[in-house]
Amino acid sequence: MSVKDIVGRHFSARQQTDVLSGRVRVGLFVAGVVAVLFAPFAQAVHPFWMDLATHMFIFALFALSLDFVFGYAGLLSFGHAAMFGAGGYATALLIQNATTSALVVLPMAVLVGAAVAALIGWLSVSARGIYFAMLTLAFAQLFYTVVFNDIPAMLLGLEAVTNGDNGLVGITALTLFGVDTGSLMAYYYLSLAMLGGMLALVTRLANSPFGRVMQAIRENEDRVAFIGYDVDRYKIVAFTISGGMAGLAGGLWVPFNSTATTAMLHWTTSGELIVMTLLGGMGTLWGPIAGAFLVVFLEDSLSAIGNWEIYLGIVYIVIVIFAPRGLAGIFRTVRSNPDPRVLLSKARSALATYREKVFS
Amino acid sequence: MPSERMSDEKRSVQFSRRKFLAGSGATVAASLAGCFGSAGSSGSDSVKIGFVLPFSGTYSFLGESIVNGVKLRLDEQLDGEIDGRTVEYVRKDTGADPATGASITQEFLQSENVDFIVGPVSSAVAGAMKPEIASSGSAIWLNANAGNFKLVQDNCTKYHFRTSFNTWQTSAPLASYINDNIADNVVLSYANYTFGQQSKNLFREEFEKVGGSVVDEIGAPLGTSDYSSFLQEIENSGADAVFSFFAGSDAVNYIKQFSSFGLNEKMTQTGSGFLLSADTLQAQGTAALGMYSLLHYTPTKQTDRNQAFVDAYSSQYDTTPNVYACQGYDSALAAELAVTEAGGTETDPMVSSLAGAELDSPRGYFKFKSSTHDPVMDMDIRQVVEADGGVQNEVVETLTQVEGPTWGCNL
Amino acid sequence: MAIEGIAKTALLGVEMGMTLVLVTVGLTLIFGMMDVINFAHGSLYMLGAYFGLTVVTVTGNWWAALLVAPLLVGLLGGLIEYLSIRPLYGRNPLYHILLTFGFAIMLHGLVTEIWGGQVQNIATPSLLEGSVDLVLFSYPLFRLFLLGVSIAVTAALWVAMRRSDFGIVMRASAHDSEMVDALGTDVKRVFTAVFVLGSILAGLAGVLLGTSRAVDPGMAASIIIQAFAIVVIGGLGSYRGAVVGAFVVGMLNAFGPTFAPQFTDALLYLLMAAVLLVKPAGLFGTPEGA
Repeated sequence: MSVKDIVGRHFSARQQTDVLSGRVRVGLFVAGVVAVLFAPFAQAVHPFWMDLATHMFIFALFALSLDFVFGYAGLLSFGHAAMFGAGGYATALLIQNATTSALVVLPMAVLVGAAVAALIGWLSVSARGIYFAMLTLAFAQLFYTVVFNDIPAMLLGLEAVTNGDNGLVGITALTLFGVDTGSLMAYYYLSLAMLGGMLALVTRLANSPFGRVMQAIRENEDRVAFIGYDVDRYKIVAFTISGGMAGLAGGLWVPFNSTATTAMLHWTTSGELIVMTLLGGMGTLWGPIAGAFLVVFLEDSLSAIGNWEIYLGIVYIVIVIFAPRGLAGIFRTVRSNPDPRVLLSKARSALATYREKVFS
Repeated sequence: MPSERMSDEKRSVQFSRRKFLAGSGATVAASLAGCFGSAGSSGSDSVKIGFVLPFSGTYSFLGESIVNGVKLRLDEQLDGEIDGRTVEYVRKDTGADPATGASITQEFLQSENVDFIVGPVSSAVAGAMKPEIASSGSAIWLNANAGNFKLVQDNCTKYHFRTSFNTWQTSAPLASYINDNIADNVVLSYANYTFGQQSKNLFREEFEKVGGSVVDEIGAPLGTSDYSSFLQEIENSGADAVFSFFAGSDAVNYIKQFSSFGLNEKMTQTGSGFLLSADTLQAQGTAALGMYSLLHYTPTKQTDRNQAFVDAYSSQYDTTPNVYACQGYDSALAAELAVTEAGGTETDPMVSSLAGAELDSPRGYFKFKSSTHDPVMDMDIRQVVEADGGVQNEVVETLTQVEGPTWGCNL
Repeated sequence: MAIEGIAKTALLGVEMGMTLVLVTVGLTLIFGMMDVINFAHGSLYMLGAYFGLTVVTVTGNWWAALLVAPLLVGLLGGLIEYLSIRPLYGRNPLYHILLTFGFAIMLHGLVTEIWGGQVQNIATPSLLEGSVDLVLFSYPLFRLFLLGVSIAVTAALWVAMRRSDFGIVMRASAHDSEMVDALGTDVKRVFTAVFVLGSILAGLAGVLLGTSRAVDPGMAASIIIQAFAIVVIGGLGSYRGAVVGAFVVGMLNAFGPTFAPQFTDALLYLLMAAVLLVKPAGLFGTPEGA
């Protein structure tokens, strides 16, 4: 029996349940069925709900990509906007110049996102913790300035490649098996399918030996290295996979908005993504999805009010103080004890804890 | 800021929030009805205007000014009705993000069934909105601030009516004035993004055409907060004058620092009007004295038409109007004219009645050029002078009926 | 480039760098001691400028603003620490990101709501207007004042951290807060004090820079990433690192437009990436600081 096997077993033993327990899987399945049935309902009542939902799915996919490296490998990336943007711009350029076929465009978005992530990951993994975050930020911001100033056009002697701060606009819809996905419903289902597929993939990966090693790295990377794993290589691979997913999210985002813009690449996009992940509950896979849903929903519904950021900020502050494990934590508490009286007493004790911590 | 105005703003925000909700409800009903009959534009007895503008952050002031301008005309002067039809509003915040702008536009066109879209502030947002509006064809786009001339150059659309200006108009016409009256050599300084580059290039082309020479050009990244090193380069160029494009906080930083390093004593600062416009001038203060700029609206302009506008605006909002408020007001005039002339809110008849039409704008002469739907208008060359309690722009010369190129657009 | 040009640009670099120290010191101390990644630090700087603006408007006295505004920001910083960061101690410090991001967003909206979105500026006090002739070139008096204040504050802090009891407790807490706690010092109070100190300095920077620069709701976001970059370049938690990092970035800002005019906005990130690739914990940081 090799050392690695022992370690593998050790980690499996410590992990009491699989990533995404059976009950959560049932819940997600039900949510998926509801999502599938939702579209015809929205079509009849208020078609724009599908637009909002699609927006949610794409950012949920993006948040999922971060949770994979952040929640499982403990790599706090502050540069995921780079992969999101890379996938997005690749998609825009392909649609404009080559093909609208989703079977070509989306895999290319994944590849481009993965390639950018591999490069950033390879350069950054030697740094740890917050330094890793800041390195990824630095590379993402460099990427941003390259796109903003349209350096590719400068180098190639063309008039425009990324088209600077105006971005690429008028990007037409993708086609899938000859079908135009331009309608809200078609795009809704495409995004939902991608989100579902990627969630399944990530769950499998997280439960695989590879995923166990990643979690071990998160807990104590020195020990994992000591046992003989090439920690840096694992990190780069995980980061690359995550980058591919972020690229896919970008690839879906661009035809959805028919634009590819520098805002996709800006550090605030990376920051917002971290917020979604933490708000939902990192390391749970479905938590960040819920976090993305909430943030997108709040931004949309609040944006008709003036200076709506005040309220969005307050929501973040309240959740982080009173719900330590994010939405996932709230959900777990509610599920484990649906009795309203118990919940009320729990809420009271949360307040009491807060008071104690502040005024002690 | 007077607290009275703040509470007014708060009221208007809540008010429009309610309207927005009411609007959504109405649309649900409309789309339900749409299952049985044909869902046309909004009801025959209302005119619906969608604001696609920034309401948060740095540009929120511009967004609110445009809304104020629109409402001054429609709500105050017309009692909320155009030709017997009730005016309704929906508004959503674009921030400065083109994708958000495109998505809001889609929503307003498909779900809210607006008749007019007013906005945006940023040209990048406008670029993202354009394909949505062009392909939908169900609303008139009153472009109340985005000046990028390429909106007209590439695939120009007949639904786009610019109630604001284009980049050429706020830069090139100043060239011959500078060459004749200020200096025959300039250095160019600009914020290094599309708008700044366009203004710089269009000015340079015209300045060289009229016989001036450009000594050097210096671009600074958008959002630079300390220009001192760039200012040294400008000083080293040895030019007698500077032509610049900066806007918002960049304009304040640039001008303040320009004068604090004493460059204002060595060379004459000129620029596109946004360098020294009403939204930045109070912050720039005496550092801006003596500087020249070119813009299509000047609140201090001594005409009866403008005076009436300034009085009405000031008494309503307790502050003097700025160029953005004027652009909003003119958007309202355009909507009013379109609905009245076309006798309804059908899009194509409204397009026909607006093309080539003149508006009674506070800025002076205003006509939608038939071939591009860009404005043909009077442009003011202004100089910053001292005024009681601060500084203000004073019109030194008005260029009449400035047209500019058509960039191959022929509607 | 002539000698006057080089000298003037160098002075610009020193001045830009040293003023940034006022912002970065708070950021690095707060991180070093509490592991708090404070995204709201830029917002505290912004509030300093807006409080200063209001004090100048009300009293007409710039010097009053210089005194009062930083204290108000310090008070607010103290409240933020007391009511929201304190309950989070002991939790994964990553949650501070979410918390302080929330504050940054909220304050951005709040400032726009209260003071409006338009660009404003604090008027330069008449005493500090005009320029000084420095033989080779002349230089704005206000900017020399800025430089002087920054150097004075930096030096005073340095001495205080070396010599005073509080400074020693602070440095010890940054090194091992549990040990300090065990030895009978109330670490929580030290944390609050450090947060207040960092807030006061950020507020001071806000009033000073709000006078030479534009005051608008975007100023928080535009300084925070630069400040983070400096702190990381210097090494998180290191006071010396924050000073050296700010100095280096100041020089970069000053000479960048001359030598790489097309790429000035990329230089900061190139520098940060280069430093971290060679020294993964910054110039003066320790890997444990991560």
